[in-house]
Amino acid sequence: MPEVRLFRLRVFFCKGGRLALLSHLELARALERTVRRAGLPYAVSQGFSPHMRIAFGAALPVGVGGLQECFDLSLASYVAPDKALEALVATSAEDLMPHTCNYIGSKAPAASVAYPLCAYEARFSRAPEAPLPVPETVTLTRKSKEKVLRVADYLEGEPVWDGDRLTFALWSRPTGSLRCDTLVEAMLAQQGAPAAPGGETLQLVSLTRTAQHALLNLL
Amino acid sequence: MTDLWPRLAALLRNAERPSRYINHEWGCTYKPDASYRFCMVYPDTYELGQANQAVRILCNTVNGIEGMAAERAFLPAPEFCDTMRTEGLPLFSLESCAPLAEFDAVGITLSHELAATNVLEVLDLANIPYREDKRSDADPLIIAGGPCAFNPEPFAPFFDAFVIGEGEEAVCEVLLCHRRLKAKGLTRGEALQAIAAIPGCYVPSLYRWLPEDAAQVRGSWIEPVHEGLPVVVHKRLFAGFAQSSAYEPCIVPFVEAVHDRLNVEVLRGCTRGCRFCQAGMVGRPVRERSVENIVSATTRGLAETGYDEVSLASLSTTDHSQIAAMLEQLNRACAGRGIRISIPSQRLDAFGVTMAGLVAGQKKGGLTFAPEAGTQRLRDVINKNVTEDDIFDAVDAAFYAGWRHCKLYFMIGLPTETDEDIEGIASLAQRIYDRARDIVPAAQRGAVKVNVACALFVPKPLTPFQWDGQIEPEEALRRVGLLRSSVKSRAISINWHDPSTSLIEAVLSRGGRECAAWVEEAWKRGARFDAWTECFKQEAWDEAARAVGIDPLIAAQRSFDPAYLLPWSHISAGVTPEFLRRERQCAAGGEKTVDCTFDACSECGVCPGLGVKTQVQGVRHA
Ligand code: SF4
Repeated sequence: MPEVRLFRLRVFFCKGGRLALLSHLELARALERTVRRAGLPYAVSQGFSPHMRIAFGAALPVGVGGLQECFDLSLASYVAPDKALEALVATSAEDLMPHTCNYIGSKAPAASVAYPLCAYEARFSRAPEAPLPVPETVTLTRKSKEKVLRVADYLEGEPVWDGDRLTFALWSRPTGSLRCDTLVEAMLAQQGAPAAPGGETLQLVSLTRTAQHALLNLL
Repeated sequence: MTDLWPRLAALLRNAERPSRYINHEWGCTYKPDASYRFCMVYPDTYELGQANQAVRILCNTVNGIEGMAAERAFLPAPEFCDTMRTEGLPLFSLESCAPLAEFDAVGITLSHELAATNVLEVLDLANIPYREDKRSDADPLIIAGGPCAFNPEPFAPFFDAFVIGEGEEAVCEVLLCHRRLKAKGLTRGEALQAIAAIPGCYVPSLYRWLPEDAAQVRGSWIEPVHEGLPVVVHKRLFAGFAQSSAYEPCIVPFVEAVHDRLNVEVLRGCTRGCRFCQAGMVGRPVRERSVENIVSATTRGLAETGYDEVSLASLSTTDHSQIAAMLEQLNRACAGRGIRISIPSQRLDAFGVTMAGLVAGQKKGGLTFAPEAGTQRLRDVINKNVTEDDIFDAVDAAFYAGWRHCKLYFMIGLPTETDEDIEGIASLAQRIYDRARDIVPAAQRGAVKVNVACALFVPKPLTPFQWDGQIEPEEALRRVGLLRSSVKSRAISINWHDPSTSLIEAVLSRGGRECAAWVEEAWKRGARFDAWTECFKQEAWDEAARAVGIDPLIAAQRSFDPAYLLPWSHISAGVTPEFLRRERQCAAGGEKTVDCTFDACSECGVCPGLGVKTQVQGVRHA
């Protein structure tokens, strides 16, 4: 069969509010349904169980929001990006709102690997007495197996505190990545007892991926 | 209303699957300004309840009433129930995140007996007294409906009122009446008096429960506390169903829920007349919606929800007189969009398989058939009107068409069953497997699998087998053992249910008001989520039985003479007791009764009794 020309639309959206609590799988299903409701001419894969040709960006942990999340949608016919965006906006939940659409080349890297460096912002219940130290290593336990990650292998520069806000950036490596929530939890675990007796321990209020950077942009 | 969201949000970071509790799904209705508020509860988790038809239909109809809002609530998962208790957070509705106790009325759908302890868990977690006699005017009106309401007694002390049968009209009448009387300042008791007069409503607190001997002599288990109350409650039937639009607004969940797809109800009722089947007996008569109605509802529903699957829901979709035309039109309407059309269960003949084939596309997973019994003798006893040839035709058609797996449902412990019938299951499964192997190309023979799933017979109220007892759990296991040893081929797998939960189902299904104490004691001892294998606590039920002095084994196994008056004799689903007795007699003689949508009326009593008629859109395919 001759290769049919498809149009690859990259859609950027926010994941916020209570919908930050969606898992990656739930988010993926919600986005597919949004595309169907929008009535866009999405391409359908061939084969035993035909499905929409859509590819999602790098997963966010449950509870983490995002301002520049994205997915790639293959369209069978061209739709002007602003028209596509308009249709998607009309059928999207408020906390999963698309804000930018553009076409990308057929050889462009997939949404899930296009942005190896991500910036995050964590908000806490109050400002810490002193910046929380960054642990040297983080130990992950999965299926009773332990894995030790060296934070420096992932962290870009130093985390920056501004009152109750913390910003930092993490690399995802071909060998794996350090989850943003894992790092923040590890930092919180290092806090001592509250300064004032009866004072509140510092708590994470929200965590957001604020930007995703492609390698090209960094050069 | 109190907004519990800030308190809930703080706990969600550590909840097992927080998206169950967050609301904001596509398609949900929120009416913050409505002055009368109803909350519809499914007494299990969001995943299991969100797609429930009663929840969907009732929320949509109540939300359609001016000044009324309907919200949804589900039981949180066990771990989160515990967290909420520790934190003192009461059970909340999804839309307003408001405590259930602040609603005017709460509806709970009772879809199976094992939900009994979850009803208490819901009410207790909501800080609403779970016994109706402990409630005050400040508490919401607590109403129940669903299949278990056909024998309301084991649930009676927990509810203010039951709505028997199809609820879309009756529930609105109850709520409108309640709103009117509440506005006038009437008490709870006065409101219940008025509700008891609405057709289809049963208010148990207005009836004394009689001891067994007295009930048999008197001809009723209940005695009205004053004159003028109905002594028999007749089920409600939505007479306009066939003409009403098949389109319904639909919520699209974030969580992967069961039946997470567009559901379009194509018909109600099934008169095939299987003698163990409560849904078939209480849902009569058959009412089909038109193809045009179904196709336009599907197209609109898919466009509005973005679902990639539609299920044509009913008890027997492939019996619809226009099924072929319906599927062809739907196929055309959905072509090229990666949308699946599914039929929940198909009839057991070649026609059923052809219909399933029309929508299966290239992906042919498994096909499910329910012969229910292994021998023709027993199939005749239960009035499963299929012959061995029908079954083989269906299987041949399925494997010729490309299916490689089939799942066969059987019941164990049906009245009159012998070891020969059990061996018959093994033999039928083996012959099905052999035929399938002969049909498929040699290279694919290894892929052929036959799965046999067995459920233990549970006698259900208002069926011809309502008088028959269940077999003992040990005997059930012996029969399963016999079946397993009778199956020779390794490509045939056998699955069965733990008989201990079926025993509880049997007791609650046929119990009287005294069973409520058993449920209450079991719940107090930690029983909840009994339908979840990992949560079922046998000891809690055993200890509770000792505490209240019932013997569940005796209750489940007891068989009655058809002259015996059963504890739900004051509830009528339209089929007459005479019809049920006649059917029980026919069963004993292995005599079959025809389906009135294919043949003559078998005089079950529903149509003349309720003043309705079977409504089909054409001649059904025999
Ligand atoms: S009364 Fe006759 S036609 Fe009506 S449902 Fe019963 S058997 Fe069928």
